[in-house]
Amino acid sequence: MDSDSFRQGGTVDIQIARKAFVGSQGKLLALRDILLAISPGEFVCVVGGSGCGKTTLLRIIAGLETEYEGAVFLDGKRVTGTGLDRGVVFQEHRLLPWLTVHDNVAFGIAGLSRAERVAKIRHYVNLVGLDEFEYEYPHQLSGGMSQRVAIARALVGHPEVLLLDEPFASLDALTRMRMQQEILGIWEAERTTVVLVTHDIEEAVYLADRVVIMSPQPGTIRNVLPVPLSRPRDRTDREFVRVRKSVHDELFAPGSMARLALENS
Amino acid sequence: MSTAEQNRGLVWKDTEAELKAKPPNSIGRIYIPDRLLGWIIPVSVLVVWELLARLGVLPPNWLPAPTVVCQTIYQLAVAGDLFKHAGMTIARVAVGFLLGASAGTLLGGLTGYLPVARKLLDPSLQALRGVPSIAWVPLFLLWLGIQETSKITLIALGAFFPVYLNLSVAMRHVDPKLLEVGKLYRLSNFQMVRRLILPAALPEYIVGLRSGLGLAWMFVVAAELLGASSGIGYLMVDGEMTGRASIILASVILFAALGKATDWMMNAVGRRLLGHRAR
Repeated sequence: MDSDSFRQGGTVDIQIARKAFVGSQGKLLALRDILLAISPGEFVCVVGGSGCGKTTLLRIIAGLETEYEGAVFLDGKRVTGTGLDRGVVFQEHRLLPWLTVHDNVAFGIAGLSRAERVAKIRHYVNLVGLDEFEYEYPHQLSGGMSQRVAIARALVGHPEVLLLDEPFASLDALTRMRMQQEILGIWEAERTTVVLVTHDIEEAVYLADRVVIMSPQPGTIRNVLPVPLSRPRDRTDREFVRVRKSVHDELFAPGSMARLALENS
Repeated sequence: MSTAEQNRGLVWKDTEAELKAKPPNSIGRIYIPDRLLGWIIPVSVLVVWELLARLGVLPPNWLPAPTVVCQTIYQLAVAGDLFKHAGMTIARVAVGFLLGASAGTLLGGLTGYLPVARKLLDPSLQALRGVPSIAWVPLFLLWLGIQETSKITLIALGAFFPVYLNLSVAMRHVDPKLLEVGKLYRLSNFQMVRRLILPAALPEYIVGLRSGLGLAWMFVVAAELLGASSGIGYLMVDGEMTGRASIILASVILFAALGKATDWMMNAVGRRLLGHRAR
């Protein structure tokens, strides 16, 4: 995106040849020939059914999976492990139950003076709308609030890339829609590159600049569709529905594994 | 307020209403509050016991009345024997527990964190645990003599295993999903232990400390019964030798009260350490 030239970093270049898991059933090919280049500040959604390797793809970018053939580059530097230049939000909030919201968010930053850290944590706690809950414990929060804390924790270290693995999947429909709006607001404020994995087509079309459609066994990119809609997007708009249908058709095209899985079930 | 928070509020109200709507304990039409329910049996037993003793049904040298036992405790306190013997017992438990729990913490931490240490040490320690601890007494007496060393070693041994086991297992079973969070933020091995593994293992560690303390009290009784010239266990033996059942019963009550008090203290410390986290 040209308008984001003030934020330089955040280019993700994915070149994965093969990623296999060795299990009791033998070798399982999780990903094959994944080629994808993501520009700085771009919002990319990866959609696919379960088992299509989308989470594995995200974990590779995060540096949590390092055994694979190929390479992932972040701003031209090869990813060899986890790093503070990438913020990660999982499907479960994964907050530490013995820490307050404040201290959980503090997990995301290192260095700085104490005063700077506190100010920064407060900023991100405010950004996700939890100012009143800064010193509460995770068990006192609802699912949506916990997930917002996880987002604050992922953002507080100023990552170049925000990686979200079905972050709203466990939330109720209404909370999910508000969280989608919030993540757009945060993205517009922070201008980080975002890669969000989801199985929800509407979520992908609502959020993304580009939708990456994956098919399983082995996980490959089936197609990449741009979403040529301005924001804020209207889910009932004719154009929105048309894009959603094209993603849907691509995902369930004749011969696609997703369609086969659907027909067999 | 967001809808999520409002939803939460509603859920809370519902459970509260449900709790209130729960039918109370009642026998026939008599309503008895929960807290009193547990007192019915002990109080009845005490009353019946006192009556039987006063009516001469129970011979006083066999089972003296509760009031007589209370009197005995009072007399022991006035004479200064109570504090001397109780103090000695408490000191033995404290030193033994401290040594045993420290060793348990050290080895539990080591085996919990390092798989090599676990593979090296755990089979031997498990084999030792298989020996009923009282079975060590003759050896300890032979090796360490009848003085304090053998008693404290026995108590320490009792306290060691629960602490060791709970800490070791808890450290190994920390949720791998939380460990991944540590990995994401590039924690060093030391930080990983300090910021993730130890806090995550803390609740079970505290459970281990509590059962270790319980065993320390059990073993101090054994140690003092087997040969001591002071301590509550000695009072018991003395009561038996001189045929004074009231002294034996007084000692039993002292052991129970002290054991309960230290457990309560340990529990309070544990709750403080765990703070506001979800239980």
